[in-house]
Amino acid sequence: MTTKRFLSLEWKQFRRSSFFEKGLAIKILMLLGALYFASIAVLAGIGVFFIFKTSVPDQDPFALINNYLIYWVLGDLALRYFMQQLPVMNIKPMLLLPIKRQSVIQFLLLKTSFSFFNILPLLFFIPLAVVLMVQGYHPVMVLLWFISILSISFSINFLNFILNKNKTVFFVVIALLAAFVGLQYFNVFDITPYTGVFFNSFYKVGYTVVLPLALVIFLFKMNYRLLRANFYVDGAVQAKKEKFKNYNLEFLNRFGTLATFLKNDVKMITRNARPKQVLIMSFLFLFYGLLIFTQDIYKDMPVFLAFAAMFVTGGFLMTFGQLVPSWDSEYYKLMMSQNVSYKQYLESKWLLMAIGCAVSFILSTPYIYFGWDIFAMIAAGASFNIGLNSFITLYGGALNRVPIELNQKAKAFSNTQGFNPTQLLIALPKILGPMLIFYVPYKLINFNAGIIVLALSGVLGLIFKSYFLKLIENLYQKTKYKTISAFSEKK
Amino acid sequence: METIIQVQNLSKSYNAGKVLDIEALDIPKGQSFGLVGNNGAGKTTFFSLLLDLILPTTGQIENKGIVVSQSEEWKPFTSSFIDESFLIGYLTAEEYFYFIGDLRNTSKAEVDELLAEFEDFFHGEILNQKKYLRDLSKGNQKKVGIVATLIGNPEVVILDEPFANLDPTTQIRLKKIIKELSSQKHVTVLVSSHDLMHVTEVCERIVVLDKGEVVKDIYTSEATLKELELYFER
Repeated sequence: MTTKRFLSLEWKQFRRSSFFEKGLAIKILMLLGALYFASIAVLAGIGVFFIFKTSVPDQDPFALINNYLIYWVLGDLALRYFMQQLPVMNIKPMLLLPIKRQSVIQFLLLKTSFSFFNILPLLFFIPLAVVLMVQGYHPVMVLLWFISILSISFSINFLNFILNKNKTVFFVVIALLAAFVGLQYFNVFDITPYTGVFFNSFYKVGYTVVLPLALVIFLFKMNYRLLRANFYVDGAVQAKKEKFKNYNLEFLNRFGTLATFLKNDVKMITRNARPKQVLIMSFLFLFYGLLIFTQDIYKDMPVFLAFAAMFVTGGFLMTFGQLVPSWDSEYYKLMMSQNVSYKQYLESKWLLMAIGCAVSFILSTPYIYFGWDIFAMIAAGASFNIGLNSFITLYGGALNRVPIELNQKAKAFSNTQGFNPTQLLIALPKILGPMLIFYVPYKLINFNAGIIVLALSGVLGLIFKSYFLKLIENLYQKTKYKTISAFSEKK
Repeated sequence: METIIQVQNLSKSYNAGKVLDIEALDIPKGQSFGLVGNNGAGKTTFFSLLLDLILPTTGQIENKGIVVSQSEEWKPFTSSFIDESFLIGYLTAEEYFYFIGDLRNTSKAEVDELLAEFEDFFHGEILNQKKYLRDLSKGNQKKVGIVATLIGNPEVVILDEPFANLDPTTQIRLKKIIKELSSQKHVTVLVSSHDLMHVTEVCERIVVLDKGEVVKDIYTSEATLKELELYFER
């Protein structure tokens, strides 16, 4: 009875969420996106067996897959840490109603099972299990193996909530992941055969399935107990208050009138959940080059190198910049009725983005390993980012008008507002720009000419800085009332 | 007395119809001006128009001779606290005051001097708390917002529902502050409230809005409270 009620509440929440108030085109795009991810998972599930079979013909592909599952476990934990939302239901109104706490908590926990992060592994492992059976593996044992994997997936789900965004655990997981991958890559030590024994046993031995099953039940119980104990207005329901952190930001005073805003932005980034998430994301951008520069195919297609070079240093600049002025949406009315000059406001944001890009560039020096050519390209990409990309991103941000709840992490794949035709249009010059600027002189003259022109394009942008800022300022002024009303909309 | 705020043919309509329609309204400098009306009467709409947060459908508002929707020159001498969206949640009270001070060209020392005057008002719950504004209670947030409007010697102060959520002691102190602002510093204070007693006590003049129109414009006297109560009893 109560479960039915809860379900109907959840359904209403889902039906009436802003997602369904979007235009048809966006809905279709979102659907296509979801289908894309789903089909990738399914295809990978079908394909992974054959990939291993052809690349390592003399070994059992299933055993190899099991060896590598440790990376899935660690990667999944890390991904969920900053993507998956903790289970929140509006439990405050439920506290006073005659409903058993037990049923509320159980519902809350079961609800988390249907998150995207639990469905995606299913989409991968079901086809894989089917392929295994078709390939002649023992169906019953494959089923046992599948149940074990499923239990592990759900254990990760519940473990994630118990850890409750514990930073230390997250960094330990990331460090382990990096260490294992690194050690294996450089042929120092390979962990996978050892952990593989464990995952293999689900198929080989079978009854070891009780281990993951026991684990998932244990974690569920533990979650239950934790929630039960904190089921009070001052417990789990109450948002966590953060401890006050203070930094000495006086050194920013050298930026004169911009310092007021810069100091505020630094505090904004360090004291709120959402911008911190963006900071971590932009750090990951640094590693994008590893995907491209290590592949030999791209050696002959330097255009893609130009794109990657821009991406390596542009992480913070783009992820932060595309949400200016949304970062200030919570108090936008204050900004609009105070003595704030758009020019100073924009210039300080630009400065912050440029600093972010410069820091990324310094952090990208290890790319020298791939050769000075690559590093010169990254430098040229950084120049493009600071001189041109920053202004394009700021311009796009002004059209974005998404209210942000600063202290709420973005939900995975729910940022539908940022996903609109204007944003796609704005993304084009960001991506094609550096490729084109590099490609033309590269084709006409040579590789070095391409790099020089790409670097010069950034310098040119800097020369026209005040003109670009004026352009964006005009856009701000023109869309002022639209922006205010969009930002004051309730989410 | 010279007029500081001048409203001409002001109206605001949404698809559903007119929400505000004021033909003319002049507020002299240094007046404490009260706006009352039931929910949906147009009080917040009027303040939003005055602060150029929404565009009027017709007409205009002049603040010290400046048409607010055409120039931003009114900002340096006007300050306001409408709701929590005027606070920056991740700052402490001090940081917020200094930030506003920076925007209004007021030095740290001057801000500190001003804050010292409000020690009573803060009741030891605002300063040196090592707490972000988002973690303060609604009442304390309001105190911060109200005091922040007084930074930088504004000539016009706009407060929407300043008495709501405040404890009785603070309400009494706030009334004193508002009275002093208009009588001693000649600051024009615009206040809206649902509490008839408070406005009649604080304001020299009270305008009653109903469905966006001015239905009463009274200079406060002994009989005002009775008159207002009779009107709202209908």
